Amino acid sequence: MTSSTSRPLTPRKVPRFRRFAVRTGAMARKETWHVVRDPSNLFLALGMPVVLIIVFGYGVSFDLDHVPVAIIDQDGTRTSRQVARDLTASGEFDAIADAGEPEDADRLFRRQEAAAAVILPRGMEKSLARGEQVTLQVLVDGSDGGRASSVIGSSAAIVRSASIRAAASGLPRAMVVPIRGRVRTLFNPELRSAVFLVPGLIAYVLAIAAVLLTALTVAREWERGNMEQLFATPVGRLEIVLGKLSPYLAIGLLQALLVLAVGTVVFDVPVRGHMALLAAGTLLFLAGTLSQGLFISVLARNQQVATQAGAISSLLPAVLLSGFLFPIENMPLALQVIASVFPSRYYVELLRGVMLKDAPLAVLWPQLAAMAAFAAVMIVLSTARFGRRIA
Amino acid sequence: MSDLITVSRLCRSFGSFQAVKDVSFKVGRGEIFGYLGANGAGKSTTIRMLCGLLQPTSGSAVVAGADVARDPEGVKRRIGYMSQKFSLYPDLTVFENLDFFGGAYGLSGRALRSRIDEVLDELGLRDRSRSLTSSLPGGARQRVALANALLHNPDVLFLDEPTAGVDPASRRDFIALVRRRVAQGTTAFLTTHYMDEAEYCDRVGLMVAGCLKVLDTPSALKANHVPGALFEVRTARRGDVTAALNAIQGLATIQRIGAGLRVRYDPSPGRDRVAESALAADPDAVVEAAEASLDDVFRAVVDQEAQ
Ligand SMILES: Nc1ncnc2c1ncn2[C@@H]1O[C@H](COP(=O)(O)OP(=O)(O)O)[C@@H](O)[C@H]1O
Ligand SMILES: [Mg+2]
Repeated sequence: MTSSTSRPLTPRKVPRFRRFAVRTGAMARKETWHVVRDPSNLFLALGMPVVLIIVFGYGVSFDLDHVPVAIIDQDGTRTSRQVARDLTASGEFDAIADAGEPEDADRLFRRQEAAAAVILPRGMEKSLARGEQVTLQVLVDGSDGGRASSVIGSSAAIVRSASIRAAASGLPRAMVVPIRGRVRTLFNPELRSAVFLVPGLIAYVLAIAAVLLTALTVAREWERGNMEQLFATPVGRLEIVLGKLSPYLAIGLLQALLVLAVGTVVFDVPVRGHMALLAAGTLLFLAGTLSQGLFISVLARNQQVATQAGAISSLLPAVLLSGFLFPIENMPLALQVIASVFPSRYYVELLRGVMLKDAPLAVLWPQLAAMAAFAAVMIVLSTARFGRRIA
Repeated sequence: MSDLITVSRLCRSFGSFQAVKDVSFKVGRGEIFGYLGANGAGKSTTIRMLCGLLQPTSGSAVVAGADVARDPEGVKRRIGYMSQKFSLYPDLTVFENLDFFGGAYGLSGRALRSRIDEVLDELGLRDRSRSLTSSLPGGARQRVALANALLHNPDVLFLDEPTAGVDPASRRDFIALVRRRVAQGTTAFLTTHYMDEAEYCDRVGLMVAGCLKVLDTPSALKANHVPGALFEVRTARRGDVTAALNAIQGLATIQRIGAGLRVRYDPSPGRDRVAESALAADPDAVVEAAEASLDDVFRAVVDQEAQ
């Protein structure tokens, strides 16, 4: 059978795309075997995001207890003192000794001596006696979004109950208390609640896990000397890249599903919009972040460097530039531009849009397009760098 | 045209360092061609260029009809390569490794299955197919790597130090497998620094510091490149005998071997003259004329280079 006429077994007439599919499939199958052979990695990949989201999720939504509050009584009357006592009666707020003036709130927040300040305005008792509305101003330290929103919620409730008590004790009943949080913009002007933060967390957790998942795959083959053997076969760079990505995309989707489930079940984050839109966005986001990890791996050729570069390049954009904690509109232009490159911000926007607001495709297509573009660019870059390295 | 490898004035530099200098040769169909040389001589660099893995700095090479510089993908489809480093995936089974590399060559489905069965049988690996590659002994691993390189029935087989670090028995088995394959029409190019392995080659090229110094059949090399005469002296008193042999005109090389010394004289003083001196130093010494080996060729060529 194998005489001097032996031909390579790949017949020329096999269509190009079929050969492409065969090779990419072989690559994907091999990569899956690697994962299956070392299930500890799989458990880590699936367990880490869940642990992270639970830890961080609770971190941002802890219950209020003895929050230090500066009660600034500018009125100094019997009524204002009564309201001040009512504010601290439940134990959620502790009045701090040296409240000072409204201008001091900034300083108190910075030194972490108070997390909120309530201003009881001059002339309060008189106004109430005349049956007028009184506005209590509440300043909240927004640097901790979760706590800030809880403080606002509680103070509204406390003031309302104080208002009812005041009414019962013969004061005019018309004490409506709109609470306004004036918050230093540097920290978190929109006072994001846990519900608002969880979609950001999902993006953050997935970004890190996804980048790290693929950051090693190519570097490992360089270090072990497999790459030379691989390059001696007719496998193309794009086939390697796509073949390597696909099993991790499956794992990533599983991660996403787990994290979303934890987000909705444990933290009561609603999913108001379309699951299909959520799925499409998640797929594109994962494709982008996985390719980012792969690209790093192609560049580094060294597992240690790849891990570090992967961690940094996923962590920084996901935490700082995603709009998860810090609003992008308030950043310097240069950072805004950088933030617009990474897919994290688009995924956060998409998650918030779909989960909280039922935003339609007509609104979210730019986010989808941006994530698709990032994924495409990363895949092209990985492939191109692969090509140059073989020389 | 039956030359499967045609190399012409091939050079490769890394920066200012010339790893391969102006190498030319041809390898015909069904030939085992051996590339012999010390570490760093440029063997792997040559083989990488021939496999389309490394771009030549200058010169040309055509392998199985494809130019290595202009059509490396064409080369890759037609060759099998076993790299110097252990290049299988240790966490995959033998079958999985073969399945993957078969797929990498575009084989799939039933064709791939039957090919895997064939090479497993050919290389005596059938009962190993479910073993993790990392669990195999060295000789079996090498055979799996060979199986990998043979899956797609390549025209040319490139083996870069295929038996490095393997025991001599496994080495012989391995070479026998390669010879069987070559008898069926495949061409093999292998690098080695084991002389006994080079003996099995149809022709041997000797590489010294990037240059292909000599190239011929093993017997012609031994006949033409070991000037003078060789003797083996069996003795327990190597020191005394060495001093005595040194005194004879024309000593070219002297080396310690298991039972004594191996010496080459150029020109030859004759066996009697050598025996006389050796016996004077050690009455129990036995002197015999010796056949040249590839090792002697190698030493002679390197010596000539040094002068
Ligand atoms: N990629 C490379 N970059 C720089 N130098 C190299 C590279 N590859 C090989 N060399 C050098 O070229 C010389 C020949 O190497 P090689 O072909 O591997 O030798 P051999 O296989 O005969 O042991 C060595 O000195 C080696 O250091
Ligand atoms: Mg070498």
